[in-house]
Amino acid sequence: MKKFFILPAVAISLLAISGCTNKSVVRYGDAAAVETTDINFGSTDLQKVAAEMTDSLLISPVVGTLTVNTRPVIFVESIKNKTSEHIDTESITDSISTKLLRSGKFRFVDMGRVASVREQLQYQQSGGMVDTSKAKQFGQQIGAQYMLYGNLASIVKSNQDQSDVYYKFTLRLMDLESGLVEWADETEIRKTKGKEYISW
Amino acid sequence: MLMNTFKIPIALLLITVLNGCSATSFNDLFSSYAQQMQQVNIAQRQGNFKYAINVIPPRSESDGTFNLRLLEQARLNFLDRDYAQSQVTFNDAYNLIQQQQQAAKIELSRGVENVGAILSNDNATRYDIPYYEQSMLHSYQALNYLYQQDLSGALVEIRRANLVQQSALHTNQDSLQSSRQSMVRQSDMSKQYPTMETTIGQVKNGFQNAFTFYLSALLYHSAGELNDAYIDYKKALEIYPNNTYLQRDVWRLANKLFMIDDVKQFKKRFSATITQESIPKNSGEVVVIVEQGIISPKQESSIHLPIFTRHNDMRFYSVALPTYQNNLTTYQPVQVRVQDEIFLSQEIVRLQSLAAKQLKDQYPLMVTRQIARVVAKEELRQQMSKQGGDIGNILASLYNISSEKADTRSWSTLPNSIHILRIPITAGEHTLSFNINGTTQNINVAITKEKQTLIKISAIGSYTDHQIHYF
Repeated sequence: MKKFFILPAVAISLLAISGCTNKSVVRYGDAAAVETTDINFGSTDLQKVAAEMTDSLLISPVVGTLTVNTRPVIFVESIKNKTSEHIDTESITDSISTKLLRSGKFRFVDMGRVASVREQLQYQQSGGMVDTSKAKQFGQQIGAQYMLYGNLASIVKSNQDQSDVYYKFTLRLMDLESGLVEWADETEIRKTKGKEYISW
Repeated sequence: MLMNTFKIPIALLLITVLNGCSATSFNDLFSSYAQQMQQVNIAQRQGNFKYAINVIPPRSESDGTFNLRLLEQARLNFLDRDYAQSQVTFNDAYNLIQQQQQAAKIELSRGVENVGAILSNDNATRYDIPYYEQSMLHSYQALNYLYQQDLSGALVEIRRANLVQQSALHTNQDSLQSSRQSMVRQSDMSKQYPTMETTIGQVKNGFQNAFTFYLSALLYHSAGELNDAYIDYKKALEIYPNNTYLQRDVWRLANKLFMIDDVKQFKKRFSATITQESIPKNSGEVVVIVEQGIISPKQESSIHLPIFTRHNDMRFYSVALPTYQNNLTTYQPVQVRVQDEIFLSQEIVRLQSLAAKQLKDQYPLMVTRQIARVVAKEELRQQMSKQGGDIGNILASLYNISSEKADTRSWSTLPNSIHILRIPITAGEHTLSFNINGTTQNINVAITKEKQTLIKISAIGSYTDHQIHYF
């Protein structure tokens, strides 16, 4: 009879210990610190991809000749997500375009804001509130010369002992007029997670 | 004696508390999952989904069946056309599956659950979502993204579904291998090719979900990734080799992608009506997915197990095991009339069969646990009758009988069977006349040239509904 009590008693106390002692604490951390919470695509991967791609683009000799005496205009097409995770690829392109803009060698047009621009110009032109001589005109925008586009693909494998994920990010710069791909590069990430042997 | 009579209720109390803490709700101790879901299924049959969601038995997050509750709720949200909520709930369920897959090899908490299960019933163990349910989760999730106009999100879910199907294939590799070997042994392989395809299809049919492959192919097709689409159409065809809609899709894409060897083979296999058919110009396609009925719940059946007691005499103990009824409901194919031509839907998955195969695979382990439980409960009864006399004996026997419940847990709001139908239609406005289980329904569609239009029909009990998506 006693044996029957011991097991539940131990179980309940273990549960109580594991369940009740957690206290949440808020802390600030380093935004560039390596994050390894889980195996999924995370901030470190995003930073690595964006940094490697912009570095590669900026030191490429082809791009060096393109940017002599001029700041080419680029438009960023979306990055195609071909992985098995819901990844915000716009965030990757945002990082890349921001870094490129900061280098001072390129200029960008933002296709995501065309509708708001049109609305604003329409307001200036025909809203009746803005001095027509000072209102910005339609049809004065500069067309992009290059298009930046890419793919993010992944291969996921797992067995009883570990899971493995491999990402490949490809980025390309295309001359819109000639259709030539002027520059391309890829970066790879491999992450492996071994399973714990024993846990609660 | 007074002390002893106190001890018995305390022991019972402890058992229930133990159950409550570890993984299961109090309900599971005395009523089976199928019984608890009855109300939900009745409401679902009437198309009263909001009510159905409300009557799903509540469970806490620490409950081992919480993941199943999420699946039921998300499916009902989906039927209720609340795609955003359904997406969130399915995602929660997916996260739980991921956690379970990445958990340590030995989990102490599982040990506690198993102790609980030995003193009560299998409902106290954690519910592991089987592969066929996971493939349906991702299929519905893909439709959720699609209906919210996010094709790229839908494709992510499709890739996840394919990972699940791969795991299912990997787990069942042995059975596939042995059937393949026996085929080779039997006769010359090249001659037997078509029949071998059928046999492997029949084996694969037990664990892979052709509907998920079909949906995957359809989404890849509409995203312009024809090569990926071709592979998945072929996988679906492997499972349902006689489905003429699949044959037609495979045939067209094989020609379009110049798969010369495949074209040669298919030319022999498929009938002339498919291989010589010409695609009408200026036409698009209507793809119809029909969900038929509700998957039957697991039933509890008592069997007598011979067990040797401590005094080495054999006794028969009655134990409860889950089963499925041994007949499949037949569903009338859906009829579509387009310009005096009649098309009939064909089966693409029978979820009932997938569920039955899953249960069959679980039996050996289930019976082993059941025997351990019978022994433990008999021990409990003997101890209590020794210490508590007749009252102890009666209480323990009552507890043993009433807590003996089969584990009837499974995703019970899924459809029983899914059919497909695919017809080329000239571009423009059309009224399609559907005949669903005897009732006629007209659906208006606007077909765009070289584009697919997806119509999903749910025919559950007395309820029918449709949802149109233009790619």
